[in-house]
Amino acid sequence: MTSSTNVTTVTLKVSRFAPRPERERDRARTGSPFARRSSPFGSGSGSGAARRRPRGRQWVQEYTIPARPEDTVLDCLMTIKRTVDPTLAFRYSCGHGMCGSDAVAINGTPNLLCTATLRDWAKRPTTSDATDDEGFRHTGDVADDAPADDADSPSLGVVELAPLPGFPVQRDLIADIDPMLDQIRRLKPYLQASGTLATTSEGKVDVFEYLQHPDELARYEQLSNCIACGVCEGSCPVFAGGDAFIGPAALIWASRFVNDSRDTQAMARMDAIDTPDGVAACQSVRACTRQCPRGIDVGEEMWQIVAKVRER
Amino acid sequence: MYDAVIVGAGAAGLSAALGLLRSPEITRMKEDGVEPRILVISKLQPLRSHTGSAEGGIAASLGNIESDDWHWHYYDTVKGGDWLVDQDAAQLLAQYAPETVINLERQGVAFSRTDDGHIAQRRFGGHTRDFGGEPVRRAAYAADRIGHQILHTLWQQCVAEGVEFAEEWYVTDLVLSRDGSGAAGVVAFDTHAGAVHAVHARNVLLATGGAGRLFHTTSNSWDLTGDGMALALAAGLQLEDIEFVQFHPTGLAHTGILLSEAARAEGGVLRNADGEAFMERYAPGHADLAARDVVSRSIMAEIDAGRGVADPKDPDGPRDCVWLDMTGIDPDHMRAVLPQVVETIEKYANIDPSRDLVPIKPTAHYTMGGIPVTVDGEAYRWEDSGRRTVVDGLFAAGECSCVSVHGANRLGGNSLLDACLFGTRAGRSMAGRIAGNPVGDPTAADDPDRTAADEALAVAGDDAARARREDLDALLAGPDDDASDGAAANPYGLMALLGSTMERALAVRCSETTIAEAEERLDDVIGPAAAALRAHDKTAAFNQEVTAIWEVRHLVALADAMLAASAGRRESRGSLQRLDHPERDDERFLAHSMTRLAPADGPAAAELLWQPVHIVDIPPRAREY
Repeated sequence: MTSSTNVTTVTLKVSRFAPRPERERDRARTGSPFARRSSPFGSGSGSGAARRRPRGRQWVQEYTIPARPEDTVLDCLMTIKRTVDPTLAFRYSCGHGMCGSDAVAINGTPNLLCTATLRDWAKRPTTSDATDDEGFRHTGDVADDAPADDADSPSLGVVELAPLPGFPVQRDLIADIDPMLDQIRRLKPYLQASGTLATTSEGKVDVFEYLQHPDELARYEQLSNCIACGVCEGSCPVFAGGDAFIGPAALIWASRFVNDSRDTQAMARMDAIDTPDGVAACQSVRACTRQCPRGIDVGEEMWQIVAKVRER
Repeated sequence: MYDAVIVGAGAAGLSAALGLLRSPEITRMKEDGVEPRILVISKLQPLRSHTGSAEGGIAASLGNIESDDWHWHYYDTVKGGDWLVDQDAAQLLAQYAPETVINLERQGVAFSRTDDGHIAQRRFGGHTRDFGGEPVRRAAYAADRIGHQILHTLWQQCVAEGVEFAEEWYVTDLVLSRDGSGAAGVVAFDTHAGAVHAVHARNVLLATGGAGRLFHTTSNSWDLTGDGMALALAAGLQLEDIEFVQFHPTGLAHTGILLSEAARAEGGVLRNADGEAFMERYAPGHADLAARDVVSRSIMAEIDAGRGVADPKDPDGPRDCVWLDMTGIDPDHMRAVLPQVVETIEKYANIDPSRDLVPIKPTAHYTMGGIPVTVDGEAYRWEDSGRRTVVDGLFAAGECSCVSVHGANRLGGNSLLDACLFGTRAGRSMAGRIAGNPVGDPTAADDPDRTAADEALAVAGDDAARARREDLDALLAGPDDDASDGAAANPYGLMALLGSTMERALAVRCSETTIAEAEERLDDVIGPAAAALRAHDKTAAFNQEVTAIWEVRHLVALADAMLAASAGRRESRGSLQRLDHPERDDERFLAHSMTRLAPADGPAAAELLWQPVHIVDIPPRAREY
């Protein structure tokens, strides 16, 4: 992965967390069929779960490894797993920004590990490295002893990694994003139309596709590209701050169907988000827009759906 | 006890769940007040499944842009697969493709559209009109995010149907009844709790996807470790045609990330170090849109002839790439129809495809082979006597299975189609079995025969779970004091070692020598190292290293089978190019390889049987593009 010429290094400061060995804690996980079943529509606004304090040991661990500016942070973490510390836990899968597994806080800002390059995110160490804006405690790194640049392996700098804000940590960089998925599920995130499906007989289908003009597609196409990674949620001060808010991701999904010319339930969908923890909770901070890996202008879309709900 | 457990939540697994729940049988059963007990187990949250990375399209003879006919699609599929395709299965694939695509649309997929509002279609390699004539626009697409659209839509429909998921559970064992005649359930590791569970089920469907992680350079996600195929091997079942791995021609250099075939469909051209558009020389008339195996082999031939280029990021490195020239595509059009391709190139190569040449090399992309299944998704054993024996209640669908519609080489646009279409069919055939005898049937609760049968399944599952718990305890007990250090003592390092070994042995071409070298390394180094792996942390919850150890062991078993099948097929066909047997040999090898691993600790020889290909009405011919 690293070329033999011009070896550089990077230092990763990773917020780690080891859960206390489980004594069948009472945790109703929607992802587990053997946990107590909760309501099929999730746990209210989900903000209760977001505020639950994790129990376990927390510390910050530093890793200094060879790396190049064009490497992604995920590349670096994989190098650590392979060559330094196989116990470090973080979600990852496709490695190129499509699966949405690997949202974490990079230098305090929610982003995907696999799209963040060192060129953009490695910071030159400064003398006063304050705790980050999101209020994450850095328990062990008061004195910043980042390795000084030396001639043999010049450092590209430091990257700080912590789990996605707004969600309870489960282990190291893995956070429990079920509250977000519950909120998405709560708003009937599926096309509601006639429901009739085609069948084939004698080589011919009996029903055709719904017609949709390219202009109609354009009204929701980008919204349908959301990968539910949670970056917008972790960036939203209302959501991550723990207020009762269904969150930008669920609203994007709702808006995706409201704007789909094939869907027949736009009114009911808008009723469902016209609640104190729905569109009313958005404070138009627009922090949700900045790092969206799919390039969705989440803040603007929030604005649009709020207006649409008000005008209906 | 579950009526059915579905392992995997990509296009195939989710299609199976929906096909099952929407079948007339289950609908009637529900009306009678009996709810089916279905569980979908996935090692990822379903939206993370690798289906979401598919870019180009899904093939169907909708004829929305120009006239098309399913018979042409059928012919192209057979020819693309170099006649190793079961033609009865390929007929179904082509005939039911329009229905499949239309139903995806009607469930919510945001397909790109024609000006009159129909599903838009584009050209794709190997898809022609008039039985091998001019290229035809057959691939329905959603910009270049068709997989994302399909995955999300299927998950959304599963939410609508109230499907129960066990997310981030890793299946470690496929459990069969004691005599091996039927499915009994699975053993699964709940990665959150760090606990092993026996999941009893009368029907099991495996839909775990491919095994690209066998190779160092792959377009596949980190999770595609061939789990379902390895589970079948471990249960003593066979894999069909497992020697056939498609290398997609255009992986972005040194990342392996896929650049969709759509890049060439929209006008991208491959060029060698001399700037020559070389594909016209290898595939006159088809050039850059020849079938994938043809393009990958041509690229390797150019590289072998010294006309490769080095990755500009590593100018002193090996000249093992060629150029993808997209500068002839109008930049605005490129952004409109290939947004994902453009973004990937900009992000990961840091260049502008409208001005710069893009370095690419073939990347491991798709396993044509897998768990042998009938056209109704039932897993079967191929017997010495020359017949198929179905394993009762065991099903498979998608990339981990082999129907076989892809034969020796899959056409672009046919994988999503296979997963959705045969996934749905498998779900429906499970429905038939369930409706006749549902777990929740109150009238059968006291039936002693049924109780005894369930009890036997449960005992088999509990035994397997007990053994797996002991294995877990051993893994968590940590390394021995005298354990080896370095890459081989770490599953992630070992996976990399296996990947480079397999790549050297099998990527795009192979020979008896390369296969033998890899087998030796597997037997002497990698296999023993995988068996000796232990976790470096004792906490079971979210212990990813434990899962990675099981994944490496799965990959090692699968590598074993793949090498044995590659060695046994002494011909060149489709994606398999044997340098020592360069010709196709229909006399001896117009047949599917059926590979079974010898029981653990036995002599390492795998057992290889040959099953004749189903030829219906397209007799083998020379395959020219």
